[in-house]
Amino acid sequence: MVHGVVLARTSHTDVDDLVQDVFVTALERLKDLREPAAFGGWIATIARHRATDHTRRQPLTEELVNDVPSPKQGDRLEALAILDAIKSLPEAYNETLVLRLVEGMTGAEIAERTGLTPSSVRVNLHRGMKLLREKLA
Amino acid sequence: MSDYLWDKGGDPDPEIERLERLLGQFAWSGDVRLQADGDRASNAGRYVGILLLAACLALVVGGLTLAFRFHPAVPSWQVTTTAGQSSLPVGGVLETGAREQASFNVADIGTVRVEPNTRLRLLDTRAGNHRLELLRGTMHATIWAPPNQFFVETPSTLAVDLGCAYTLTVDDEGTGLVSVLVGWVGFKWRDRESFIPAGSACATRPRIGPGTPYNERVSPQYREALSTIDFTPGSPGVSGALTLVLGESTERDEVTLWHLLSRVPASDRDRVFDRLAMLVAPPAGVTRDGIRGGDRKMLDLWWDALGLGSTSLWRTWSRQWTDNSK
Repeated sequence: MVHGVVLARTSHTDVDDLVQDVFVTALERLKDLREPAAFGGWIATIARHRATDHTRRQPLTEELVNDVPSPKQGDRLEALAILDAIKSLPEAYNETLVLRLVEGMTGAEIAERTGLTPSSVRVNLHRGMKLLREKLA
Repeated sequence: MSDYLWDKGGDPDPEIERLERLLGQFAWSGDVRLQADGDRASNAGRYVGILLLAACLALVVGGLTLAFRFHPAVPSWQVTTTAGQSSLPVGGVLETGAREQASFNVADIGTVRVEPNTRLRLLDTRAGNHRLELLRGTMHATIWAPPNQFFVETPSTLAVDLGCAYTLTVDDEGTGLVSVLVGWVGFKWRDRESFIPAGSACATRPRIGPGTPYNERVSPQYREALSTIDFTPGSPGVSGALTLVLGESTERDEVTLWHLLSRVPASDRDRVFDRLAMLVAPPAGVTRDGIRGGDRKMLDLWWDALGLGSTSLWRTWSRQWTDNSK
C-alpha cells in the first residue's frame, strides 16, 4: 500500500528509497500512534507527505528512451504514459487507481489499508477510471 | 454489487485488464536479494531494510492492537514449565533444570522461551519498562512492542530490544552472545554500544562490554579475529586479526566495518576507512581525518549511507534506553 501511495506522487525510479524512508519515519513516530486500528491511515498519511515533499524538491525529469523502441520498450513507454496520465488526475483518484491498477488491490483492500471508507474508494475508482478513459481516448 | 473495477469480480473489463497488465511492472515486488553476488549492497540492503521495517511495524502494531483489546498491565508473569505453572514476581528467580524448559509472556508485549540450565531474575515490569536479568543460560525473546520497552541485563551488557526476535546466551563466566533473528538488538555497556541487525550476532565480555557485530555466515577465523580485536585490545595479535577481517569482509559485512571504524586504534583506522570506502563510498561531509579522530557526526553520516535507516532513529532509542536505565 505504501508503495502505491508513493508511486502515485513520484517518479517510479525514486519509489523504493522513499518507501524505506516512510517505514523509518513510521518507526520513529510510532509512539504518536494512539489507536492501532488507525495504523493504515496513519502510515498512508506519512507516505503522502513524504512523497509530496520529495516531489516538490525534485527538478522535472524524463526517462530517456531510444528513438526506435523494441516491443518490450514500447510496452514500457505506453505504461509510463498511462502512469503519467493517472498522476495528472485529482489526488483522490490517482492514489486509488494506482493501488487498484498497479498494486492489484481490490477496492475493499484499499479501503481497509488506507483508512478510507469503502464507499469513498468505490466513488474514487469509478470517477477516476472515467477520467482516465477520457484522457487515454 | 460486484464489478471488475471494484473487486475483480463479474465480467472482466478488457480495458482495465490491459491497464493492469501494462502497469503491473511498477508494482511492489517484495523482492529480497540477500547477498546476491554482484549486487550493490545498497540495493540489497534497501529491500531487506524495507521488509524488516515492515515486518517490525506489523508485529508492533499487531501487538499493540491485541494489547489494547485484551490486556491491562500485569504485575507478575505466569511461567509455564514442564512441571506446571507458577508465578514469577518482581525480584523472583526462575531456574530451569537440565531437561526443563520454560516460557512466559512479557506482560502483554512479547514472549520468552527459556532453555534448560538457565537462571534469570525478573527485575521490573511496568508499562513501557520490562526488565530481566539473565544470569546464566539461554533465552529466546520475541517482542512486538515498540522498541525500547524490553531490557535484559547480563553480567557484561544491557540488551535492549529494538524489535523483534533474538536469542541471548550467557555462560558461567558472564560471557554473552546475542543472535538476532528479526529486527534489531542494541547492546550497551557504559559508553560502548553495538547495533546488531537480523542475521547477525555479537559477543559480550564482562568488564569490556559488547564486541563488534558480525554476519552469522562469516568464517570461524573471522569471528576469532574480531574477538581478538574486541576483547584483547593492545595485544600483538590485533593488527594481524584486523588484516584478516578486512581481507575477508564483503558487502554483507558493512555493519561490522562501520563499528570497527571507532573501535580499532587510531593508527589502524585508515585501513578500515579504505576497506569500507570500497564497499560504501563515504558520503559528503565525511573525511579521513574526521574518522581518524572519531568524529561522531561523520560516523553517523556514514552509517546513514549504509541504507539501514537513519542514525537519528538509533540515537533516539539510545537516549531513551540510557534514560530508562538510570
